[in-house]
Formats: sequence, structure tokens, C-alpha cells
Amino acid sequence: MHIATGEYVCLEGDKANTLFIVKSGMLVGSTKADAGAPLQNFGPGSIVGEFSLLESEPRDLTLRAAEDTEILVIEQHTLQSTLDKHPGWLKSILTFLTARNRIAQENKRKNDLIQALPSLLYIFSAHLKETGADSIPLSLLHKKILALNNTPDEETDNLLKSLESLGLLKVCGSNDADKNVKVESLQIIPLLYETLQYRALNQKVSPNILSMTEQMVLTTFVKIARESNVPLQNGLCTITTEQLKAEAKKSMHGLTLTSRTIAPLVEKKLLEPSSAFDIHAPLESVNFFFADFEKILDLLELNRIFPLLDKSLV
Amino acid sequence: MITGDSRQQVIPPTRSRVKAGFVVYSPDSGERNIIILDEGELAAIDRNNGIKTTVFKMHPGDLVGVAALLEHENFRYAIEATEDSTITVVTEECMESELKTLPVWMLAVIRSLSSKTRKLKDALHHTRCENTLKSLAEYCNHLEAKKKYPLKDLVHEFHWLTRIPSSVVNEEIKALARRKFLVQEGTGEDTTVYVVNTLLLQIFVDYQNATEHGVNWEPFTLSLAQKRLLVKISSVDQSTSMDAPAWIAFFKEAKLQIDVTEWIRMQQFGWFKPGRGNTFSPNTDKIKYYLAALRYETNIRGVL
Repeated sequence: MHIATGEYVCLEGDKANTLFIVKSGMLVGSTKADAGAPLQNFGPGSIVGEFSLLESEPRDLTLRAAEDTEILVIEQHTLQSTLDKHPGWLKSILTFLTARNRIAQENKRKNDLIQALPSLLYIFSAHLKETGADSIPLSLLHKKILALNNTPDEETDNLLKSLESLGLLKVCGSNDADKNVKVESLQIIPLLYETLQYRALNQKVSPNILSMTEQMVLTTFVKIARESNVPLQNGLCTITTEQLKAEAKKSMHGLTLTSRTIAPLVEKKLLEPSSAFDIHAPLESVNFFFADFEKILDLLELNRIFPLLDKSLV
Repeated sequence: MITGDSRQQVIPPTRSRVKAGFVVYSPDSGERNIIILDEGELAAIDRNNGIKTTVFKMHPGDLVGVAALLEHENFRYAIEATEDSTITVVTEECMESELKTLPVWMLAVIRSLSSKTRKLKDALHHTRCENTLKSLAEYCNHLEAKKKYPLKDLVHEFHWLTRIPSSVVNEEIKALARRKFLVQEGTGEDTTVYVVNTLLLQIFVDYQNATEHGVNWEPFTLSLAQKRLLVKISSVDQSTSMDAPAWIAFFKEAKLQIDVTEWIRMQQFGWFKPGRGNTFSPNTDKIKYYLAALRYETNIRGVL
């Protein structure tokens, strides 16, 4: 088949079941997603459309002739008659290779998404810190993540959707140019970045990830603080040991609150005791505990979303 | 002798009957065969640390070893018959002889599928960044200016974010240091790095973006008259607010070349912020950006 310079061979998304082999000349391929990226060149000997031939998959590229080009078109009946002339295992091999490529594509897609998350969090955290704002223009986020990690806009949008589904942020606005990404809490994005970074660089769980018992104690602490009418002082809330023990009895499913239960939280400086804390002394030896209320809320939120993160991304 | 009938050269695959427990393939053998199960059942066995685990079971029609044969990728499990089975073994020689009889386009399809999969797998371990210098500049742009960061921590974090190899990161840090955007101090484990001015890194990233897209970067396209206008605006208090004719008159009074076209260009550069009642005031951030770009042009272009 002869294709004159500038003529289109196919459009991205077209239904297809043929393979093209370039005999002479040059075809150039492009996709909507990679608009602006360099075109893919297909010179003599190149083949395009293996998945259309084998699995009737729509065209994944828009193909145009960059110069006068001769192409050979292989149709499915040619494929079938070729397979009929050869042993059955040849078809099995083709099926295997196709399936394997699909798995590799899917793994790459998941991997890219997971790999892009820290970059998104890094840029977002930095922007919140630099500007003191609670949002970032989507176009700026796209631009910066592209510069940092070559992450395409579509992938960034997918990541944002995942984080939005976890309740971490919200993409506001209707026009692409005016869209803003707003965080629900100023600290949660930096906290998530710090936690992922700690895990990656130290190969161990971040101290921000709390045990179930720690989470239950802090949840109890937050519940009492919310029900109490005492206003926060410099962001700190104070709860008496008596209140904590009484509420724990009700809400911690029979778990008895002791100095040993509280100790890890004191050690992490999440709960500050009113007097010297001794793990071997009765809990009542401390009159009350105080804590940074917002910090505890953010940590609990982090611990809620962290186990859901991987599943939500892929 | 070439007979013209390629079918005569085909080495047929071996079909055999195996008893339950027979080891059809062992990873230590180094053999590269495709094993097709015709009847019965086979299992892929992992013998890691002496513990025998069944990884998957094969049923009639299933095959293993394609990647081993076509891509020299070792198959790491042993294949054992879990019941009496019939198998077909396609050896390397058999495969080669069969491939020779295929039309060229079919061979190309097999090669293409194989090569695309290999590329996708390789890509998992490599960075996606093409311009590693720009990527590092974007990262450093968000560090605290003048704060000293241990070099190894910085390299470690940036490598985690981008998968750019540490050796490349170290070279790119030197490249930014040569441009005077970063300063590297100390030696060995105690080496630290600090950012001189984050604005310069932001400017550098924007310049790199423009260069990659083959477009002229605005700050470097200013005419002499425009540069003079820029310097004049930078001397004006940012709270000054005037309408367009008043600004034009202001520049003319200072004996600077200006007309309506030039005024529109200045708007496009973003040097003025619109205010109430058609008034405009200097956009300090944008003016600082342009002035810094012009002042550090040689650093940005890398022609020191």
C-alpha cells in the first residue's frame, strides 16, 4: 500500500485488526497523551500494530507518513493461515508472549504510579511550606512534577484521584486552567512524605506508624478532648489520668490502661506526662497528660490512610 | 544443501510420557527448552533454602520456558510431574529450525513482543528523567536556602525520588555548583551542600524547559530598550499605582523608548499587576525574576 507524504494511516483509538510493516519511507506515530513529546519514527523494517493483529486491539498510535511510504498490511486471515501451517505450540507461544507483555505493561503502570507518589508529595509539601497556603494550582503541580520526575500530567491526575479518595485532598475548580489542589490538613501531606521517606531510606517502619494499642489510646485521648469544654492552650490539650482510664475502660474493648501501655507514646513525645514518668510505677502516679491536639489528629489520619495507600494507588 | 523446501529442515519437538514425580526440568541444568503439557499435571517447584514450595500448577495446554528460550531469561523453578503426564519439549534447535520456516513478518512480531516486554521490565529499574540536571535543579529549588545539607543524605533522597543513579546525581551536583547555584563544602563523609538562591534554580528549570521545547526563553529575548524599562520599573516603589497612559508618560519622562506596543509587551511579560480602575502596579516578583535571569545569564546558560 502506498501512503503519500502527510497522509494518515490510522488514528489513535481506531478499531483495527491488521499489522503494518514499513517497506520503505517513514511513518511517524503520536498519541494524545504524549502531545508535544517527540514523534515515534517507524522506518523500513518496522512493524506497527502487533496487538491489533493478535487481539483486535484499537490503534494505540496515530500514524502519518513523514515521506512517501510503502507499507505491507497483514490481516488476521493471513495470521490464521500461517498458524494453520505450523505446529499448535506456535500459537501458544504467541499467546504467552502477548499475555506476558500485558503483565509487563500493567506492572510498569503500577510501578510508575508508586514511584511518582513521593515526588508529588515532595512538591506539594514544599509548596505548602514555602507559601503558607493550603492549596497549589494544578497546572503548577503538573509542571513541577514533570520537571522533577518526568511524570506525565495524566499520571499525576490519577495519583491525585487516589489521594482524594482517601480524603487527603480535594481537586477544586472546573476549568483545567483554574483547578486547585486543596489539602484537608496542612500537615498530613508532609507527614505522609516523611513516613514514606523514612521507610525507603532506613528500610524500617517509620515511628509515625503506630501500633493498634497506641492508636486506640490516642483515639481515646482525642475523644475525651473533643467532649471536654476546656479550650486548647497553644494547641495543647490536657486530660487527667482518671478521665483517660475511665474512657479507656469503655472504648478500648476491655484493654486495661497501664503505664506500660502509655510508655511508647510518652517515649515518642506524643503524650507528655505532668510529672516524671516511670514505666514501673502505677499510671495514677501521673496526674494528667497533655498533647498537641492537631499533631495527634494528623498522626491518626496518617495511620488510617497508610495501610490503604498501596491498594488505593494500584 | 538448500532444497528449497524449508519444512524438511525442521527438527521436530520431542513428545514423551513421564511418570508422577519425574523432574521434567531442573534450574541447575542450564537447559533452555519450552515444555508444553499435553496431558496430566505438572507443578513448578521452588526449593529455596531447602523448603519445597509449589509455586503454580500446570494443566493441559499450559507451557513454560518461552522467556528462557527467546530471551535467555533463566526459569528459576523446577518442573515436576504431579501425575503421569504427556509432555512436548521444544528444544533450542527445534525452535530455531521452526522459526526459520516462519514468514519474516511473523518472526518480527515475535521479536517485537519479546523486545517490548524486555524494555518494559528494564524500565522498572531505571529513571524516567531524561534531563537529570533539570530534575536535580527542581529538587534543590525546594530546599532551604543557605541551609547546609549532608551530601550523602541529599543524594540518597533525590535518588529515591527519581531513581537517577547516585554517581549521576553527584556529577549533576557538581554541574550546579559550577554554575554557582549550589555550594559544596568539606570532604568525604562530611561533605555538605547548600543552595545559594532558590530563585536561580527555579529560573534555571524554566530556562531548561524552554530549551527542551526549542523555544526562545523570554528573559533572554529582551531588547536593550526593554531591559532599560525593566531596570527603571525595579527602581519604582511596588505600591505605585497608575493607569497605562500615566506609566507611558512616566517612562517617556525618564527618556526611555516606549510606545503602546512596548507597554503591551510589558503586560505580557507580567511586569505589572492590574489594580482597581484600570491601574497597574509593578509586579515585584516577576521583576526580580527577570533581573536575576539577566544578571546570571552566563550561569544559567552554562557558559562560564
